[in-house]
Amino acid sequence: MSAPTLRIADLGLGFRTWAGPVEVLHGISLHINKGERVALVGESGSGKSVTARIVLGLLQELRSARISGTVEFEGRDLDRLSARERHALRGTRMSMIFQDPTSSLNPVYRIAPQFHEVLKRADPAISEAAARDRAAALLSAVAIPEPERALDSYSFQLSGGMNQRVMIAMALANEPALLIADEPGTALDVTVQAQTLALMRDMVEEHHTSVLFISHNLGVVREFADRVYVIYKGRIVEHATAEGLFADPRHPYTRALLSAVPRITGGGIPEIEDVSEDYYQPLVVHEGCGEPEGVA
Amino acid sequence: MPPVVRLLAKRLGTSLIVLVGVSMLIFTIARVIPGDPARIALGPNATAEQVEALRERLHLDEALPIQYGYFLRDLSRGDLGISLYTNRPVTADIAQFLPATLELIVVAGLMMILIGLPLGVIAARYRGSWADHAVRIFTLLGVSAPSFVWAVILMLIFAFYLPLFPIAGRIADSYAIASVTGFLTIDTLIAGNLAAFGNAAWHIVLPAFALSLSGIGQAARLTRSNMVETYDKPFIEMARSYGFPERRIARRFAFRPSLIPSLTIIGLDFAAMLGNAFLVEAVFAWPGLSRYGVAVILRKDLNAIVGTVLIISAMFLLVNIIVDLLIAFINPRIRYSQRAS
Repeated sequence: MSAPTLRIADLGLGFRTWAGPVEVLHGISLHINKGERVALVGESGSGKSVTARIVLGLLQELRSARISGTVEFEGRDLDRLSARERHALRGTRMSMIFQDPTSSLNPVYRIAPQFHEVLKRADPAISEAAARDRAAALLSAVAIPEPERALDSYSFQLSGGMNQRVMIAMALANEPALLIADEPGTALDVTVQAQTLALMRDMVEEHHTSVLFISHNLGVVREFADRVYVIYKGRIVEHATAEGLFADPRHPYTRALLSAVPRITGGGIPEIEDVSEDYYQPLVVHEGCGEPEGVA
Repeated sequence: MPPVVRLLAKRLGTSLIVLVGVSMLIFTIARVIPGDPARIALGPNATAEQVEALRERLHLDEALPIQYGYFLRDLSRGDLGISLYTNRPVTADIAQFLPATLELIVVAGLMMILIGLPLGVIAARYRGSWADHAVRIFTLLGVSAPSFVWAVILMLIFAFYLPLFPIAGRIADSYAIASVTGFLTIDTLIAGNLAAFGNAAWHIVLPAFALSLSGIGQAARLTRSNMVETYDKPFIEMARSYGFPERRIARRFAFRPSLIPSLTIIGLDFAAMLGNAFLVEAVFAWPGLSRYGVAVILRKDLNAIVGTVLIISAMFLLVNIIVDLLIAFINPRIRYSQRAS
């Protein structure tokens, strides 16, 4: 079997602050196989987003960050790569989609030149005209009507859903092996979010892209992910298939998280404890969901 | 109509209204302050009949609105009247003295842009580093003292103790340059006299730098704080996640959105320099409009005062229009909001 697209083993992260060191991640492990969609679920501040930024190599540039453990991307240990090699992966082999599509696009440039920049990451010699043709094709693939007009627009002239489609097209433009989606479309309204998520699922299926899907929205995770890791305060507390997790949540924190979703059928806002000793219970791994052995 | 043309037309229209207002204001103020311009011009030995004759010739015996009517009639013919101080048409005086001041201000403005903006960008990109601190101290010095103080300090250090720069004037007396544009740096090039050009450029460095220091400081500090803010925007994080080089992120992705407030300030500073230039010109014995302006105000030379103020106001408005157009060019939101309105 080939190496997983992403394998994180015992990843720890701490920050040096004025008040002393702060531990954010306490040794988390996860993996994503080729073409697999894996969700990392937890409340804000649980360490989801920093994990994504370590995979991209963004946090390594912060001097105050202390990172331990290993991150392997397509069988290569990111720590052993030079800064230049790590940098070369970004935007080409891995890319990222953010929460708010409209503010993630630069407001003073039209869409076309921003697309050109993205395509140049994979093919530095690509001409403006060639980039435009390719961008138009990519935009029609994400069901944008009149892609030419979208290319000549500024982000503030397009709707949030349009911008999200643009972001998806950009993220997949260079055929990355891994797509990191950090709460994609949280800033959009629910119906548009659902449309763009369905679109994103179709796109990654078609391109066999692996996805690290970061979210606090369990409903979305259920529809989107193959496997789920639940993270609480920098620790993975439960690891299961999406079906397994929703059919049989075993960790107290997972159960609290599931009951926290307000029901459309009423019953008011559920009351759950903010902090409980139970949430610190050890990792629960469902059958058939173990971590692969490390490369010897 | 293209939005930029519409913007230009709108700004020109409002500028014209402002100019009319300024002319009324300065026209009235110059006439209601005490002192008889005819008496000052003719001296203490003139007879009452002579003074009365001059007053009549200048229409000073008429009511203010009628005087203003005469002024507008002359202005429409490009005539600002005769200066009682130099006994020449005010327009000729302004044409002689304005280029020296404009030259000084343009060079100072260029320094503001070419030194201030890059300093701000460097400070923002390497924020927290020694380069950032150095820029912040330098720019704080620049904004914390008025330009005439810097003029004196720079002159003492770089012209007196270390004679690196000439102490005063526009050019050494040994060069005779025919005046074509009035801008010595251009006239010397037209004359093909490179040595004279070097000399003129050498003369302008210190006064222009003294004049631009506070502008450099403001532009750099504003650019820095705006860029630091822009660096926290999601689109910068996205640019990083796509692995664009840091240098490109600074120059392309972060700089342009941060430039808009800096440009506004540079425009205002540029205009403020018209006033500050009065004092810097005095320190460096720069033969510009300010020396003329001070002399005519002391002599209550009505036509010259009104002419000088009008020209300075017109330049102020012109600079602001240019800045507005630049901002519209850089910021698509403004460009498109013009179309909607």
